[in-house]
Amino acid sequence: MVDVTVENLTKKFGNFTALKGLNMTFPAGMVTCLLGPSGCGKTTLMRIIAGLETPTTGVVRFGDIVVNNLSTRQRNIGMVFQYPVVYRGLTVRQNIELPLLEDRSLSKAEREERIEEALDVLEMRHAADAEVSELDNGTRQKVACAREVARRPRIILFDEPITNVDINSKLQLKRALKEVFTRLRQTVIYVTHDQTEAMTLADQIALMNEGEITQMSSPRDLYDNPKDAFAGFFLGNPGMNFYEGLEVVAGAVTCPLFPAPFRITGRHAADRVVTLGIRPEHVRVSKTPSPGAVRAHVHRRAIVTGGQYLVTLRVGDLSVRAKVPASEGEAIAVGEEVWLELPPHRVRIFGSEEVTETT
Amino acid sequence: MSRAMRTRIYYAILWMVAIFFFLPIFWILLAALKTDADILAVPPKLIFAPTLEQFNKTLFGRGTGISNTIPYLVNSLVLSLGSVALATVVSFLAAYAFSRYKPRATNFLMFLMLSTRMVPASATVVAIFQMYNAFDIGLRNLGLISQPFFRGFPGVLLLYTMFSIPFSLWILKGFIDGVSPRYDETGFVNGASRLHVLFKVVLPQVRPGLIAAFIFNLIFVWNEFLFNFILGGQGTQMIPYALAVGLVNAGGNIDWGYVAALSILYVSLPVVMIFFFQRYLLVGMTFGTVRGEV
Repeated sequence: MVDVTVENLTKKFGNFTALKGLNMTFPAGMVTCLLGPSGCGKTTLMRIIAGLETPTTGVVRFGDIVVNNLSTRQRNIGMVFQYPVVYRGLTVRQNIELPLLEDRSLSKAEREERIEEALDVLEMRHAADAEVSELDNGTRQKVACAREVARRPRIILFDEPITNVDINSKLQLKRALKEVFTRLRQTVIYVTHDQTEAMTLADQIALMNEGEITQMSSPRDLYDNPKDAFAGFFLGNPGMNFYEGLEVVAGAVTCPLFPAPFRITGRHAADRVVTLGIRPEHVRVSKTPSPGAVRAHVHRRAIVTGGQYLVTLRVGDLSVRAKVPASEGEAIAVGEEVWLELPPHRVRIFGSEEVTETT
Repeated sequence: MSRAMRTRIYYAILWMVAIFFFLPIFWILLAALKTDADILAVPPKLIFAPTLEQFNKTLFGRGTGISNTIPYLVNSLVLSLGSVALATVVSFLAAYAFSRYKPRATNFLMFLMLSTRMVPASATVVAIFQMYNAFDIGLRNLGLISQPFFRGFPGVLLLYTMFSIPFSLWILKGFIDGVSPRYDETGFVNGASRLHVLFKVVLPQVRPGLIAAFIFNLIFVWNEFLFNFILGGQGTQMIPYALAVGLVNAGGNIDWGYVAALSILYVSLPVVMIFFFQRYLLVGMTFGTVRGEV
């Protein structure tokens, strides 16, 4: 179990720069999720750590050791790919045992012990003697995970392991992985573009965009305190509401969403123009007025996962998405006039960066 | 017309076509089991006492034409199996390189390889004959050989290997493309070397392709006549040569017993192989793009 550090890591493919001078540490014994949209460089970063790609510049360290010149096999890592890699013609048990046979230092009893442990952790004992061709994709992916777990490498890398399995298997696999991470406390780097996966499994999330790490913190902190508009948009379903290009006059902005000028504090206090953001679940919708509320009318209403209602409200030209509980949502009709409140402590202030692209 | 009736007619037509195409082979098989007198009987005899006399005479001497065909059978087996085995190994390695490293102009290079099979054999046979002769003379002058090398077994084996490689390469590249590179990478992550990945991870997954490539090329080499006839020095001739040279008997007549018995012996190996491995051939014909569960 070691920490992994990358320093000034750059990767170019022809004229395209996939990674732009990354500096970060993946702490030992923790699960770090690399989260970001497709093409942001997260898989490239993982493949460089695995030794499957060579960085254009920069250093990769496992603990204190620079591993740039070590081949993949010398790095003692485990890796699970998006596509479940299993060896056809072998049983689940044989698949797990295959790489262990290469390790001459392991006795038969030790091999058995590791296989049993992996089968246990991934809840696969019932399928241990099944031929892998007979299994569905989700179970095959479990076999691939078990194989890496049984090897007990220094680091395990997961490259979107849940993407290619059906919905039921996704849940099972996610639960199994959580169990693996909790019980084994290995250094894990987990690549995904699915925020729910990252939120469920990670100890910390490194948010990536266009070859850079934009923010790295715990899932809760990342969700509550996005550092930039990208983080605010990318996390959440749907992402934040943004109100950009608001001019700061005497330390406050005037916006139709607030009954009084909204005071700008913190690191953007001195900015001339700011963007405000608020998550839809933090927007309050009520049929009765309250001190911080403004009048709005209901433009659209849709049911989202969990029976909640996603309501789009209009205040003048501005549009606000709000997530409201089922009981409240059912009581609201399209076209109806309601009261809308953006609690100031929930509103996040960003610089004047253009957020249109992300939204 | 009912569905059952349509199916019956469909199968009846299939059987008729199959029997029509099989009749010449059946006729040869009957001839191989007849005596010389029965073969030449007019009208043809369909009811006769079967005998293995033709096989006995063909294999162990009939006193005319080619007296003993066993060396030709051995040559056919050694040259076919040897060259095709060698070609399959070389093609597998080349196909892996093309598939995984994707050198520039891969498609063009692959086309160039296959284009060697598009040149008619008769256009190249004389040039190769002269080249092989020149090589042998050169090697003899250098004192490196006393027996012909290129106009002997090694030369013919290399020629057949060379001709077998392009087709095997095409088949195997298709199959290796179908094996995700993630398999290789998992192998590396699990501590395997490139050779280990190549032979223990990739090779088992392209086994249908290897078998298909092997059989297609085996049929080609097994049936090859022109190069064997022109290039093959003493002791390298195969069965097609024996069939062509030995079919006229001492009396100047065609020895139909010999032709029939040797033809049956000759087709036995491909027939057996195709019978047992036909499902691999079907997959191989699609160059691995339709893999199926084989």
